[in-house]
Amino acid sequence: MQSEIRHNPDAAIVHFRFEEVGEQVTTEAGAMVGCDSAVEMTTHIQGGLGGALRTKVVRQDSLFKNVFTATAPGQTLSIAPGSEGAIDTAMIDTDKELYLQSTSLLAWTSGVVLDAHSQRGRNIFASRAFLVRAYGRGQIWFSAHGAFHVVEVGKEYDGYVAEAGHLVAFEGGLKLHTRRVAAIKNYFRQGGGHLAELRGEGRLWLQTKNTTSLLHFLHPFRRVGRARE
Amino acid sequence: MRLEILNRPTQSFARVRLLPGESFVGESGAMVGMTTNIAMAQESAGLIGGLKRVFGGETIFRNTFAAQGSEGEVIFSTPLAGDMEILDVGDKQWCLQNSAYVASSTSVEVASKSGKLKGFFSGAGSFVLGTRGSGYLVLGAFGAIEAIDVQGGMVIDTGHVIAWEASLAYQVEDNSRGVIASWLSGENLVCSFSGTGRAYLQTRNLADYGATVGALLPPRS
Repeated sequence: MQSEIRHNPDAAIVHFRFEEVGEQVTTEAGAMVGCDSAVEMTTHIQGGLGGALRTKVVRQDSLFKNVFTATAPGQTLSIAPGSEGAIDTAMIDTDKELYLQSTSLLAWTSGVVLDAHSQRGRNIFASRAFLVRAYGRGQIWFSAHGAFHVVEVGKEYDGYVAEAGHLVAFEGGLKLHTRRVAAIKNYFRQGGGHLAELRGEGRLWLQTKNTTSLLHFLHPFRRVGRARE
Repeated sequence: MRLEILNRPTQSFARVRLLPGESFVGESGAMVGMTTNIAMAQESAGLIGGLKRVFGGETIFRNTFAAQGSEGEVIFSTPLAGDMEILDVGDKQWCLQNSAYVASSTSVEVASKSGKLKGFFSGAGSFVLGTRGSGYLVLGAFGAIEAIDVQGGMVIDTGHVIAWEASLAYQVEDNSRGVIASWLSGENLVCSFSGTGRAYLQTRNLADYGATVGALLPPRS
């Protein structure tokens, strides 16, 4: 299977070209932009037969994942995320795990296993997001709101601190520590104030924009609803 | 100290690399990430300075980012998609709209322009900041940035102007004659510049965007 990411960083899309019958890509529900009509598409419920996402049930996260299976060589599939921004990809292997903010998940090949990560750092994101651990063997694609800033922690710098809303992914060689800065509300205009500190050796992906900021900006412009009688 | 803007124009962010001992000031919500050797502290503006900021409507919390022991970096960005610009402060001093402020050198003082109540732009609670000192000023825009060399007179919508040279005289005025005409034309308040100097405008307007998109959202209670 070949893949190509185009139109980074503004409005990225991933194009897949399958090379063998039976090759599979699993995507978040609704991510498909287009595909060869002969590609077989099945919808799996999270934690169901596909087993792609063995996870505790997490509120409001999309329960459906689509699995695209090639029925002939040369078939194509294109996928894109919902928000504006860039896409990047990483290889997953036994010694190369990846941790991702759940809302940035886009697609993965069949050998990749995803687990809701129950350790520290789970609660630092905005309400709907959580940390996902990707392991096994294969390739994964994920998206940013805005552009990516990639840091090789351990090479360029000993450690890196990310504002939690801007944290997208990091390799398993990095250890996550979270802290809250100053107990002042709106210290960060995102209303968060959570910082994620990463130390060790590995690659870190930050996104330059974040959805929560956009929502905070738009909120005051919403009409005020009528009081209920 | 090295500054660069990456991913221009839409998804831009500013990377500030600091040598040991150097520091930089940033708007409190603008920090995306930084190296662990950066010490972050709230900038103390002093009581009077703080009060001036509060009454200016300005966010009271600016943070100072100081590199300790080794070289470090801080990444700054704006909440909405847009370009950023680095201005040299020193020979030229600048006025800027508060929403365009992202970060600045510690040697640059950025404060609300006192005695310029006229400078209060109506609408999205915006007001004018002015620089003093020398160093860098990092601006963030909504949309792309265009530089305009004003010679004589120039009028820019208050929602689109982000910064201008302090050498330019400016006045906020109603662009049309009469209330009805003003309302019908959709062109309300403009910043009228005169003199010689550079001005920067952003190609999108925060208040218009908020009104266009926000009004389509379900009502808030």
